[in-house]
Amino acid sequence: MARPSATTGGARATAPRTLRDAKAAYGTNPELAWWVFMRISGFLLVVLTFGHLWANNMAFNAGEIDFAYVAGRLSQPGVKLYDSFLLLFAMLHGVNGLRYSLEDYVKRPGARFWWKAVLFTAAAAIFVLGVMALWTFSFDEMGAAVRALNE
Amino acid sequence: MYRGREGQWAFVFHRMSGVALALYLLLHVIDISLVMWGPDGPFNAFLAFYHQWPFRIGLILIIAGVVYHALNGLRIIMMDFTTWGVRYQAPLWYGVLGLTALIGIPVLWKIVPEILGIA
Repeated sequence: MARPSATTGGARATAPRTLRDAKAAYGTNPELAWWVFMRISGFLLVVLTFGHLWANNMAFNAGEIDFAYVAGRLSQPGVKLYDSFLLLFAMLHGVNGLRYSLEDYVKRPGARFWWKAVLFTAAAAIFVLGVMALWTFSFDEMGAAVRALNE
Repeated sequence: MYRGREGQWAFVFHRMSGVALALYLLLHVIDISLVMWGPDGPFNAFLAFYHQWPFRIGLILIIAGVVYHALNGLRIIMMDFTTWGVRYQAPLWYGVLGLTALIGIPVLWKIVPEILGIA
């Protein structure tokens, strides 16, 4: 499970630096897939997070966000779809990044196991909350109700 | 060659911003999910709490973290998947810092007056 860099006391110079290095270091184990995933999801997240920040911080005063604003957004099909991809990629990318950090800094195997167990359990529960929130407002009935609320 | 040079600082900032953004993400999903309890639920009270100025400054730091982490992530992708990326990693990092600062100008221009109440 441990990445090569985690066993060398955080010496990042030995971490795989190119796709060829990563293939040599990881062979066919899942860490190669995660290494590739971090780069693909990272690239997509640049677009997704910048769009998200633009909509909610630049095109709108974030200090005025309230229930009507969020419910209005989450009743739109496009926002549901966009935020679903954002939630999925951000959670996987972020939690895997936290796992890298735990493996780099938590040296004792027992403590490392429990930190990761708590992280993955909390992340799974929070992901379910996020999915529920995204699908709370149905496209038609709730959307109309929310628009009436905004008027 | 590595310690204390651009590459190490790029990594340190990437790690710190990444951990901060991941923890913020978990909190953010929880607070937005409070909309499930409807207009009379706890959502509006939570949001009003987060609209206080210390949290709005925190949000500016989160935006700065997103921009740095995103641009430095693109630098990492260039280093990993091109033949020239590693050779130019140091100037690329200065490009990341410069572009982060540049993007910061309109963001601060928009958000600081909102926090001061003069928008």
